[in-house]
Amino acid sequence: MDSARRLGRAQIDVFAQLGVSTILLGGIYALIAVGLTLIFGIMRVVNFAHGEFLMLGMYLAFWAYTLLSLDPYFVLFVSIPLFYGIGLVTYVLVMRGVIHASHNVQIFTTVGLSTALQNLALVLWSGDFHTVRPWHALTPIRVAGTAFNLSQVVAFVIAITLTVLLFAFMRWTHTGRVMRATAQDRDAAILMGIDTDRVYRITFALGIAAVGAAGVLVSPLYAVYPTAGLQFVLLSYVVVVLGGLGDMVGALIGSLIVAAVEVAGSYWFGTAWKEIFYFVLFIGVLIFRPAGLFGQRGAENLGV
Amino acid sequence: MASALARHWGALLIFGAAALIPVLVRDAYFLDSLVLILLWGALSAAWNVAGGYAGQVSIGHAAFFGIGAYSAALLGARFQQSPWLGMLIGVALSLVAGAAIGYLSNRLKGPYFALSTIAFSQVLLIVASRWRGFTSGSEGIPVPFRPGFATLGLGHVAWVYLALAVAVLYWAIQLWLEHSRFGYRLAGVREDEDAAQALGIPARRLKVIAVTASAALTSVCGTLWAQYVGFVDPFYVFSVDLSVRFALNAIIGGMGTALGPFLGSILITSLETYLRASLSGVKSGFTGIYLIVYGVVLILVVRFVPEGLAGLASRLRARWVRANA
Amino acid sequence: MSAPAPGPALLTLEHVTKRFGGLTAVRGVSLEVRTGDLVGIIGPNGAGKTTLFNVIAGYYRPDEGRVTFDGRDVTALPAHAISRLGLTRTFQLVKPFGNLSVRDNVMIGALTRRASVREARADAERVIEICGLGPHAGARARALPLALRKRLEVARALATRPRLLLLDEVMAGLTPTELAAMIDLVRRLHAEGLTLIVIEHIMAAIMRLSQRVVMLHHGEKIAEGTPREIASDRRVIDAYLGEEFVLAEA
Repeated sequence: MDSARRLGRAQIDVFAQLGVSTILLGGIYALIAVGLTLIFGIMRVVNFAHGEFLMLGMYLAFWAYTLLSLDPYFVLFVSIPLFYGIGLVTYVLVMRGVIHASHNVQIFTTVGLSTALQNLALVLWSGDFHTVRPWHALTPIRVAGTAFNLSQVVAFVIAITLTVLLFAFMRWTHTGRVMRATAQDRDAAILMGIDTDRVYRITFALGIAAVGAAGVLVSPLYAVYPTAGLQFVLLSYVVVVLGGLGDMVGALIGSLIVAAVEVAGSYWFGTAWKEIFYFVLFIGVLIFRPAGLFGQRGAENLGV
Repeated sequence: MASALARHWGALLIFGAAALIPVLVRDAYFLDSLVLILLWGALSAAWNVAGGYAGQVSIGHAAFFGIGAYSAALLGARFQQSPWLGMLIGVALSLVAGAAIGYLSNRLKGPYFALSTIAFSQVLLIVASRWRGFTSGSEGIPVPFRPGFATLGLGHVAWVYLALAVAVLYWAIQLWLEHSRFGYRLAGVREDEDAAQALGIPARRLKVIAVTASAALTSVCGTLWAQYVGFVDPFYVFSVDLSVRFALNAIIGGMGTALGPFLGSILITSLETYLRASLSGVKSGFTGIYLIVYGVVLILVVRFVPEGLAGLASRLRARWVRANA
Repeated sequence: MSAPAPGPALLTLEHVTKRFGGLTAVRGVSLEVRTGDLVGIIGPNGAGKTTLFNVIAGYYRPDEGRVTFDGRDVTALPAHAISRLGLTRTFQLVKPFGNLSVRDNVMIGALTRRASVREARADAERVIEICGLGPHAGARARALPLALRKRLEVARALATRPRLLLLDEVMAGLTPTELAAMIDLVRRLHAEGLTLIVIEHIMAAIMRLSQRVVMLHHGEKIAEGTPREIASDRRVIDAYLGEEFVLAEA
């Protein structure tokens, strides 16, 4: 990701570079967060295993590239329906039984899922770090004093496209409206004859499809290993809380903010302290602005 | 006195057996398993104080474990000090950290509190694994072995009795929580914080006390574990998997019961020992497989047997009593 | 109905106001409750009755005004501190400690005043008898039907040995028999010297029990007087227009 350093002595406009990096990164975070905000906003379940589905997406891209020489962007088209299916299966097997259970039960269920998935990857594919390096990950692009590589741009474009598609779906289709209604008031939705089980099924499947796709998209940009999802979990929650639960536009804005913090922080302190930024931001947001930047509903869920 | 013993027949059985085993069995491997069962049980009991009795579920208790482990290791390896001093320092640090986490528990609801505890333990992991100058970074620290009680350099049999003493102490602490004024009021806070406040209970303060105590108790066991195992690896002692394990034992055995954590530990640690033995040929497979099992077990138990083994036993006993009344 | 004559002021509210964003839930309410009083608070839904209780009991800090209890300014005190001083409230939507037994629920209340668990248990047994919960003492709170849960709510609050008890709609949702039993319980407690403020919708009960009735509407106190005075107050009747309004002869 350190395109700026790779170019060495060439004249780089620092702020433009940081700005571009922020936008590119923000787009990807948006795709991850959008799935999470859907799940949390509609189902009111904190999915501790969200990062693991991202990790699985990364592995899918890795194996497709290594064994079949398939470019990740090709795999993307397969991954969306595949992860939609995985989401459905996970919902039926694991999530459905705990939707109405206490917080503790939900926490432990998704934590258990997270542990199981992480170690499934470990057992199947070992703990070695892998990389996916298709040609576009090594193609630098230089525009107006800023530098990045093609993978970042394509990832950004696709991420934004998918996010917009998801947004359109939620806004303009009947199912989307039904889902939003359920998010606002579960009991009223039931009384209106809405099949909440179907809503949750679709919600969860869509959320997992989004994050699985995100995994495929970021595979050229990050190392692939069983606990790769962990670094994304925390930042996803920061994004979701910042933007307001269930608010997709908010997730987009939140993504940009988190990306900005990471990019700026990494530039001045180095990338090693990323997690600490997330933690500080996370705690800060939850303490000072738990209702999100826009004072969204869901504040009561967070312990205001 | 006799009736008290009868009421706690389960504890008597387990701890009594643990006390007798070193007399009858000399196999080092077996004794090793026993020490681990007792230590993991104690760790889960420590977690239980916050998670089961105060209702503050943390998935980041490895933070306090690691603090205790590192305190002992650093003091022993770098400063040639007694691990008991390390234990004290670890406890002091954990009290501070625990109070901070306790403060968070008053600001954040369930899942978000749990998330913040994970984040905290991960921050410590990063700090420990990158601070090469002080903590030897990602290489970890070997803990020096010097024979003697003052330096916690003990043989297997001595370790069994030390671990047993700690286990019984922690069991007793939990029992105290079930019968004391503090414990009852804490139960009220756990059940309904607003209602507890209406009864004059300073809910926020009690939660902080419980979490802080839990942190300190965990830290003590972290120190003991480091001395016993002899090596502190940051990626292990601060890991989320470890935090999950503390909770897992308590959940399987029965959250909010005194014996639950030990029942869970017996089951889980035995399972791990069995898997380790039968999968000894597999390379990294072993580490992963039992964790997969833990994950699945956690999902199943929390859904189908939420009250754990202890709760199940009470339910069955009540049914038996009613049937034979 | 022989109640002890009211004594010195126990609770004083002076111009209490509570706002939530743009909404003023309670506006300039002043009230004085003397030792031995039984004051009823009535008003349509959304009048601010429960909000007033929340302010008195310390769950909300008022934006303006002062709350004085037993000579002390308690405006800024947190809920648990106010309870320690002898002011206990119940909740409109009852909040039992579900997984604990009735006995344990009441005992936790008794532990407010007692340092020893044994003494608290003895206190609890007595209160359980007073409230008629004897046969259910060992039952889990969450297994109780609503009427008994409401009783438990009262018993638990009673166990804290309050000087002043705030009851928030303890009669709602009860059958006529259960209602009669609850009215009887409140009356007995008052006769033994407990000071009470009671929020209720059930006019028959309020009119029968209260010495004084206060009416809230849109957060303001619009009327105060004896039950008879209130029943014939023009403003009270106007406020209730459109709602079912049953008057009972005291």
